[in-house]
Amino acid sequence: MLRVPWERHVLENGLRVILAPDTAVPVVAVNLWYGVGSRNEGAGKTGFAHLFEHMMFQGSAHVPKNRHFELVERAGGSSNATTWFDRTNYYETLPSHHLELGLWLEADRMGWMLDAMTADKLENQREVVKNERRQRYDNQPYGDWDERLQALAYPATHPYHHPVIGSMADIDGATLEDVSAFFRTFYVPNNAVLTIAGDFHGEAALEAVRRYFGEIERGSPVPPLPGEPELPPVLGATVRDDVVSRVPLPRVIAAFRIPSYASDDFYTAEVAQGVLGTGRASRLYRRLVRERRVAKDVVTYAYPILTGASMMVVWATGYPGTSLESLEGALFEEVESLSGVTDAEVARAVALAETDLVRSLERVGDRADILSMLELYFGDPERLNREVDRMRAVTAAQVREFAGRYLGSDNRAVVTYLPEEGA
Amino acid sequence: MSRFDRSDPPGAGPMRVFDFPDVDVTRLATGLEVRVARLSRLPVVSVNLFMPAGEFELDPDRAGLSVLTGDVLEGGTRKRSGAELDEALESVGARMGVSTGWEGTNVSISCLADRLPAALEILAEAVLEPDFPEEEFARARDQSLAAIRQRAMDPSALASDQASMRYFAPGVPYARPLGGTVESVSALGRDDLRGYADAWYRPGTLVVVGDIDSGEMEEMAAGVFSGWEGVSPPRRDGDIVPPTRERKIHVVDLPGAVQSEIRVGHVTVGRSHPDVFSLVVANTLLGGAFTSRLNLNLRERNGFTYGVRSRFNMRNRGGCFEVSTAVGAEVTDAAVREIMTELETLVREGPTEEEVRASRDYVAGVFPLQLETAGQVASRMTEVVVYGLPEDYHRTYRDRIRGVTVDDAARAVGGHVRPGEAQIVVVGNAEEIVPRLEALGLGPVEVG
Repeated sequence: MLRVPWERHVLENGLRVILAPDTAVPVVAVNLWYGVGSRNEGAGKTGFAHLFEHMMFQGSAHVPKNRHFELVERAGGSSNATTWFDRTNYYETLPSHHLELGLWLEADRMGWMLDAMTADKLENQREVVKNERRQRYDNQPYGDWDERLQALAYPATHPYHHPVIGSMADIDGATLEDVSAFFRTFYVPNNAVLTIAGDFHGEAALEAVRRYFGEIERGSPVPPLPGEPELPPVLGATVRDDVVSRVPLPRVIAAFRIPSYASDDFYTAEVAQGVLGTGRASRLYRRLVRERRVAKDVVTYAYPILTGASMMVVWATGYPGTSLESLEGALFEEVESLSGVTDAEVARAVALAETDLVRSLERVGDRADILSMLELYFGDPERLNREVDRMRAVTAAQVREFAGRYLGSDNRAVVTYLPEEGA
Repeated sequence: MSRFDRSDPPGAGPMRVFDFPDVDVTRLATGLEVRVARLSRLPVVSVNLFMPAGEFELDPDRAGLSVLTGDVLEGGTRKRSGAELDEALESVGARMGVSTGWEGTNVSISCLADRLPAALEILAEAVLEPDFPEEEFARARDQSLAAIRQRAMDPSALASDQASMRYFAPGVPYARPLGGTVESVSALGRDDLRGYADAWYRPGTLVVVGDIDSGEMEEMAAGVFSGWEGVSPPRRDGDIVPPTRERKIHVVDLPGAVQSEIRVGHVTVGRSHPDVFSLVVANTLLGGAFTSRLNLNLRERNGFTYGVRSRFNMRNRGGCFEVSTAVGAEVTDAAVREIMTELETLVREGPTEEEVRASRDYVAGVFPLQLETAGQVASRMTEVVVYGLPEDYHRTYRDRIRGVTVDDAARAVGGHVRPGEAQIVVVGNAEEIVPRLEALGLGPVEVG
């Protein structure tokens, strides 16, 4: 079986460094994961982790505004960042002879970002982020689905109750003081993992990392999560939010509370969602789309998230004439039929997952992203090399037991969308 | 402060030589062309079977036939049902997909290398012996009609479809939505699909990239595609012309919309035009990169949008130039004004030497980053076939890009960006935005 080689180093300031060489293509990835996401936002500050991510591109002590992208593009590279529940990642993919550029840029903003912060920059990015929210949520059919689903699936006191993008009011309320406090609290080397993957020389790269990042001061340990992260294993009921809005087709979206990504049971969840909805031989596609023709499309997904509990989401989109009741009934009927899952179905789900895993190693940027995640979440990059065996070990009996425990009517958050009259 | 001087970005190290992978090209006796590139870094393979069976060749009342035929290929063969095909494919961890465009139909496979023989047999069975069962046909047609409804209510898709209608004259296929209209798709029957596949699914080109030997591959292809012969009907000609050369603003009303989707564009030349390299460089600095003029203005200076892009969408027989963005409703007029100002300024004054240098460096430098995966390399190799590009196209690409001068870029912009002919499409809250768009004085504003 394929094995991805990697090595780990820890700088004195606590920065964890993962090196994963592969010289096939002259491309190198610089990938930084910070242990901060929307779960770290307190009340009244929703959306701030993401707004802050935008501010990280507005310059630092030695990098004027717009210079980050100018330098990366000039080098023939690409750069971006994303914010999610448990983490924020920043990355550059560069022609390998420009590795040091990526390190210099990331070190400058980890160490000296606040030197360049101004009110004008915050106002500008506040507007950009508000437009991102409008584009993805407010002006998009079904755009608010995850906001509604999270609000149902997690209690108001839980850090996953609100969406990563945050509310317009909270985005409006963010101040420069918030930017400084957030930076000092979370953007410290001891709360970050730096992975370099691709075409580089190990010793030279490590020396460069020490040179650029070594003198950045260690920060305090990050504070505990706000709210109440612990949750009972199931929701205890079916909770719902039935929406009538400007959407083209009826849609049912359901979340089941499942064990966290950190749990061994998450592998069973991954296989279960694969059997249900990955590929056209999956249960939901075959039964709802192909045979019964009540759904135009189906989607399933198990969230790799850590705090208290994760979610497995399934959705089905109906046709113009489909009633929501029949769509929802058919969806749950098939979900419950997982109690009769066969060995062949499990084997197919695992085979597709294996192909997807190998495919996810093709780009050094994706490879670096996975290694950073595994180090930040579990302190265990080697988990990547065990992933396929762990999936293969999941049995049909385990999937049946999982379905019995987590997919019943006592553990569902349901959001439905009905097209409004005249739509 | 830092213990050492961080003021300047570090210099680059020595650059590694990198070339597009070698491609072995052969043609089987039956007419199927086989193109293979070996990438042995990971045990994966990407396959594209391209056939020149595209929507461009269809009359308007048959629009959507090519797409629908491709969609029902997964529906079953004379030997196996659709469900059986899928089970066979997925039990070896393979995925098959069909994508149909203006220029042709592409049937692709992604799998681990040792499973290719099994997966390729299924692909061949699906393409050579499709059965188009009635139930599967009806399902795919219903899905297609539902997708048309979804596009009509998605502000971004709606704006793009409306814009195509405004860039191209009514008789030009590119003017209509790729998947057809409710009328044309509703009128299609199962026999249309059979007839279409019979006429158009003829040996094209098989592109294979991954951990596979080209000799073995040719043998495998000769085996699974044996007996597949014939040629597709000739491609049609047709001038790619606009409906008007008069600049107009077209508003599609979306009452209460908090954003406006904006498209600004017009017809342009096809992919084989000699100015293509100059246009790639010029577009990069206009709206093809984060630090382009449009993005720095609309996003980083004014905060009007999450992002704005421009592109030359060059297809075989012509295409369109287009700027696209979504902006807050209250700044719709200001955003349109800034877009037009950027276009006019660039046409009038041309790009700077420094901008052209930066764009060249970006486009040439980013080239290897787009060749990391087997799928990416397969796409590039397929492009050569789809657009009839020279065999050395990718080998010489970076040199051609680096050869673009500031004068070339200025000339290309002057010849191919025509703000005076732009069709401006805005999907948004008409009540709020129409009076302000009229006040811009850019041309007549039509609602509907």
